[in-house]
Amino acid sequence: MRRALREYNFDWMLYSTYDAASKLMAGTEKEYARALRYIPYFSGMIDAVLATGEPGLSFVKTCAEYLKNIVTARERGRKVAITSFCFSPVIFYAMDITPVCLEVMSVFLTFTYRRGSAEFLDFCNEAGFTETSCSSQRGSLGAYLAGIGVDIDMVVTDTPGVCDTNANAFAFAAEWLDRPFFQLDMPPLLKGERYDRYHRDDYRALVAFLEAQTGTKLRAERLAAVLDELRKQDGLIAELEEMGRLVPSPLPPAFTLMNYAARFLFAGMKPCTDMLQSMVNAARENAARGVSGLSGGAERLRGFFCYIDHYTYNMRMWRMAEDLGVCLQGNILSRNWSIDAPHVRENHMEDSAYSIDMTDLDSMIDSVAIMNSRMPMIKSIRGPFDAPDMWLEDTLSLARMYSADFVVYSGTPGCRNTWGMLKPFARETEKAGFPTHIMYSDAFDDRVQSWDATRARFEEFLRVRRLLV
Amino acid sequence: MNARLIEAAETLNNEYVRRWKEDGGRVVGYTCSYAPDEVFHAAGILPYRIRGYGAQETTIGDTYFGPFICSLPKCMLQLAGGGAFDFLDGVVIVPGCDSMRRLDDCWRKAGQDMAGIVPPFFFHFAVPHKFADYTVNWFEGEIRRLIEAVERHFDVRITVEALRAAIAAYNRGRALLEELELMRRLPEPPIAGAEALSVVIAGAAMPRDAYNDLLEECILELRAETRRLQGRRRLMLVGSASDDTALVRFLEGDRALVVADNLCFGARFHNDRVDDGPLDPVRALAERYLRRSDCPRMYGDYRRRLEILTDTIQSASVEGVILQNIRFCDLHGAENGLFERDLEARGIPCMRFEREYGPLVETGRLKMRLDAFLERIDGKRRTA
Repeated sequence: MRRALREYNFDWMLYSTYDAASKLMAGTEKEYARALRYIPYFSGMIDAVLATGEPGLSFVKTCAEYLKNIVTARERGRKVAITSFCFSPVIFYAMDITPVCLEVMSVFLTFTYRRGSAEFLDFCNEAGFTETSCSSQRGSLGAYLAGIGVDIDMVVTDTPGVCDTNANAFAFAAEWLDRPFFQLDMPPLLKGERYDRYHRDDYRALVAFLEAQTGTKLRAERLAAVLDELRKQDGLIAELEEMGRLVPSPLPPAFTLMNYAARFLFAGMKPCTDMLQSMVNAARENAARGVSGLSGGAERLRGFFCYIDHYTYNMRMWRMAEDLGVCLQGNILSRNWSIDAPHVRENHMEDSAYSIDMTDLDSMIDSVAIMNSRMPMIKSIRGPFDAPDMWLEDTLSLARMYSADFVVYSGTPGCRNTWGMLKPFARETEKAGFPTHIMYSDAFDDRVQSWDATRARFEEFLRVRRLLV
Repeated sequence: MNARLIEAAETLNNEYVRRWKEDGGRVVGYTCSYAPDEVFHAAGILPYRIRGYGAQETTIGDTYFGPFICSLPKCMLQLAGGGAFDFLDGVVIVPGCDSMRRLDDCWRKAGQDMAGIVPPFFFHFAVPHKFADYTVNWFEGEIRRLIEAVERHFDVRITVEALRAAIAAYNRGRALLEELELMRRLPEPPIAGAEALSVVIAGAAMPRDAYNDLLEECILELRAETRRLQGRRRLMLVGSASDDTALVRFLEGDRALVVADNLCFGARFHNDRVDDGPLDPVRALAERYLRRSDCPRMYGDYRRRLEILTDTIQSASVEGVILQNIRFCDLHGAENGLFERDLEARGIPCMRFEREYGPLVETGRLKMRLDAFLERIDGKRRTA
């Protein structure tokens, strides 16, 4: 890693960037336009997000607040845990632990800097970690291994059984940093008494671990407050998802990102609720007027990303969607498996969903355990792809429900769990009538395939399949 | 060396399998050392470790798996697609790692294109990734689920007595292998690492009782063996699944000797026992197979594995450790990085390399690195 990079505190660098971005709209339009000139590789992202109005501003502020929490965790006496996007942070917030979600931190970085996360990715390899591992964790993990981020107290993940490269990154980090490690384990199926009991037993062991690390007991009223907020958020997400079914969809493309980012950052916390509320308000307005959320106003196609999005700088994937008039119908990350979610009701999948029982501490812990087992990827990439509740079933039901014209896979070469069966999976989605495009790029690292090439191939797919003529 | 053991290790459909089938016996293949052989033995079924050994290409594997996947399951699928495993009556897929767990999906889907390559019994056998009372409980339930499925499909009964007898047979095999292991560790061992690996691999490809008898014979022969391998640099082989004796032979050459290993086709199989006391045999199997956390698939147990390595290095007087991983095997690849850091800090020279499973390639590059590594060991000897 270059010496210059080591001279900046990683978290502070990101915090100051997003904090400054959250103030960009405070001045005049001219000042805003002038400011964008100084951030050429970030301006596209900022402009795309802020163009959505209040929700966008709320999103940037939420990002800044998340980063501020990390930067100030020590002075506030908080323990810090590095964790994963597919691990619900509600338990951390209920126990005053500051989460540092590696994948989210990687995206903060790749969105902001043209250089992306390359040097942090590579530092992991210098430390002995494999270069073939997933870039989503490595992109920021390198900073913590290099000691230029906040001091980490513990490492927590929930991907064993779902994603080796994810779980392995956290196991490696724990050893490298010599920090306590806890991992929730996921069996290959989702439902049934045996599986529920396993999830619950495992989650109780997690709670015991967190109590041991913090020296405090989990209090019922704290967890209740977080879960109460979470229920409000689930309701708002359900409304957003329902509106996403409208043709044209009133949701701007950036809303898919903001939807899941809000939950990854602040599930169960007020900033997430506020942001979701502002998104709902904006979408309601569009829906009432019958207009598309696309800035061009014309929805030409509806695309479903069956895995993740593409996160390199300036949010070029979302801006491409705007350019082409493609309405993004979400992805595996943006779906919530609350019992009230529209796709749960529509497909009668109530027994695959979670509900929150606030009766007492035990019931709340059990609820969180089951909710966590329904987190993105955790829910549907754990077993054979064509098994009930798994990836194919979810993809097809969502693509149908949201009237998708095509399906796209975007991921990373480090993703063993999807690349292991992606070809047969795509064959099934094609058979079901959805033209399917596989992006061979790395969603976090342009060095694998430039964005220009990724976009060219995507557009070629639209042309060849006569989707966009 | 016993030719029958070598043949069993180097031929997929070996003489023992052929004879077993001719006698009307059934064979169930499994993909990972976390599958309890004892269950099949107790059912009168021959458990058989599926390998990718001998695959010369991965055209079929590449058709179903993506490009960023370990070549071991691709070679397995290649062989399956080519009919090399047609003798199997069943397959148990164990999610040892992500690449291996996707063999389930890819094999079944390949079966839609190539008739007859998917055996009628096809079972996904889950194994938790950590050891705790509740994970053992769950795993015990999974073994019972497997037993029920085997009983139902093959119309057999797996009794407690049969399980106890199977445990005894496999424990006997483990004890014998441990004896062999001790012979490998002698200052001047009578057996090379490649031969020892063949002996271990044979155990997963032939009936256990016959194997135990052959193993006993082999040990007696080695005891009487006057040939001693002298003056070689003593190496330990660690990392990804490796059942290719050619690789070990290559590493040994005429200057080195692999005196110990920590491989899932090697020492990991026999370094402990299943409790053969009054404990319920299914429970005993669950505890043994899950507690044996030598594989990095069992997250959060690195320190214990490091100690296992360190103890072995000490007891076998290992002078250098070869840390290898198959490309895209992140579990071993990452853990090898930690081993390298920690073993080097303890003064143990390490050589780390990445390879493809399958035909031995890039031997020139590897040879150059190996020579340099052996020179480093020589230098250490001189200054000792």
